Amino acid sequence: MIRFEKVTKTYAGQARAALDQINVDIEKGEFVFLVGTSGSGKSTFLRLVLREYRPTSGRVYVAGKEINRLAGWKVPGLRRQIGTVFQDFRLLPNKTVSENVAFALQVIGRSRSYIDKAVPETLDLVGLDGKGDRMPDELSGGEQQRVAIARAYVNRPMILIADEPTGNLDPTTSVGIMKLLDRINRAGTTVLMATHDAGIVDQMRKRVVELEDGVVVRDQTRGGYGLEQ
Amino acid sequence: MHLRYVFSELGQGLRRNLSMHVAVVLTLFVSLTLVGLGFLLNEQTKEAEDYWGSQLQITVFLCTENDPNVKCVSDVTDAQRDAVLKVVEDNPEVAGHHEESKQEAFDKVKKLLGEDLFEGPNPPATAEAMQETVWIELKDPKEYEGIVSAVIGLDGVSGVRDLRDELDPIYSSIDALKYGAWGIAIFLVLAALLLVGNTIRLAAFARRKEIGIMRLVGASSLYITLPFLLEALVTALIGVALAATALLSFWFFVIDQQVRGKIRITPWIGFDAVVGAVFWVTVLAVVISVVPTLLLTRKYIKV
Ligand SMILES: Nc1ncnc2c1ncn2[C@@H]1O[C@H](COP(=O)(O)OP(=O)(O)OP(=O)(O)O)[C@@H](O)[C@H]1O
Ligand SMILES: [Mg+2]
Repeated sequence: MIRFEKVTKTYAGQARAALDQINVDIEKGEFVFLVGTSGSGKSTFLRLVLREYRPTSGRVYVAGKEINRLAGWKVPGLRRQIGTVFQDFRLLPNKTVSENVAFALQVIGRSRSYIDKAVPETLDLVGLDGKGDRMPDELSGGEQQRVAIARAYVNRPMILIADEPTGNLDPTTSVGIMKLLDRINRAGTTVLMATHDAGIVDQMRKRVVELEDGVVVRDQTRGGYGLEQ
Repeated sequence: MHLRYVFSELGQGLRRNLSMHVAVVLTLFVSLTLVGLGFLLNEQTKEAEDYWGSQLQITVFLCTENDPNVKCVSDVTDAQRDAVLKVVEDNPEVAGHHEESKQEAFDKVKKLLGEDLFEGPNPPATAEAMQETVWIELKDPKEYEGIVSAVIGLDGVSGVRDLRDELDPIYSSIDALKYGAWGIAIFLVLAALLLVGNTIRLAAFARRKEIGIMRLVGASSLYITLPFLLEALVTALIGVALAATALLSFWFFVIDQQVRGKIRITPWIGFDAVVGAVFWVTVLAVVISVVPTLLLTRKYIKV
């Protein structure tokens, strides 16, 4: 589903590569944690999958397509197959919960009837039924992150990318979010999550890819946050 | 495509930056009016040239029955006319020429003085009384003596009119006005471009969150650009509407209602000239607003 072949990314004006000759292969339906210290290149990895940047060298494949060779006008099509969630939720403050989720469908031209069906369904799925008319600032952090996940998932993407989705949440709330991501993963969506949250990684026992200074130092099928003793 | 978002964004965008939009509209209004006026002056020059000849033209009058020139005994004969044309065609100073029949000359006079003057039993002039003419286009306005002396003595030639000394200052001042209007318009168009650019920058900043999400969920660049484009187009069209009103008022109240009846030295521009001016002004306004929008949104909203 996602394959990195000898991928190097050096930001303009930067001497050191943010990612250095990375090889990673993620199968369809996998749940993968991306861990590593701050600045190790996790977010850069995710941005390459989204084609926010092109690699300096090497190849990135998503769903069988080499996306660094993708024409600019085809990038939106790629992004429609990928849902994205961030640490800071990125909700629109002047729209209700439902409108926030619907927005993602409206702007890619989905029909009204599809939106009217998919939005409540997805809000239900993420555990926000009955809260569709609230404004984002009337929700807890965990609930806001659920809205963001609903927005990322409402178009039923093949891949869900999460960059420290629990970074702003307390441990109990984080567990709820992880259960939700796990459920989405079980429904068939490949999940790729960058995190610092050792507790969560240790608990979930999923595949762990660890980066250090832009290099993969560990790729373990049922790993924990740190190296096993 | 879902246009509900686009239109609600359009309304919001226009309200959000109201003062900027007003500035764009006013600048466009003044610059477009100046460009339009320049266009009308240009058309007026053409009208005058059509009647009196341009800075490069001299006119050869051919004989008529009751010619003011005593040398003429009758209407110019075909052989005489051919001889004159041959001389004109062979002369190295001549760039081109065309003939004008009595009827065409009569039509011009009617257009200048008004058709109604020539209706009724006793018209002040008839087509028959007009002189046939050959209009000669010079290659170089300073070299005309050869051709004038070559035709002046030919049989069937009543006279040669060279009004260029009289016309020159008139055409020059109209040209000066025209280029003056366009010159000022260039500065204002520049100001309008900068204002449009600034408006887009502000709008892109105000919408940065929405734009970020749209890019992330895979909205097409066209869809993201559309509210910006519409906003620019709406302000441009308001500017065009104001300028069109100003141009039309100028033409109607000044040219059509006043000057046309009082100053009968040349035919005056008609409504079609105003339509032409508004057309070009519209094209210009759309270019001024759409081109920077496309360029800048590309820059601010990189996919
Ligand atoms: N836009 C950018 N321009 C220049 N350098 C960048 C840019 N983004 C990231 N970097 C650099 O690239 C390296 C990797 O950054 P990245 O954001 O991928 O790390 P990360 O693992 O996500 O860190 P964190 O855990 O703090 O989010 C860092 O050295 C960072 O300074
Ligand atoms: Mg990061």
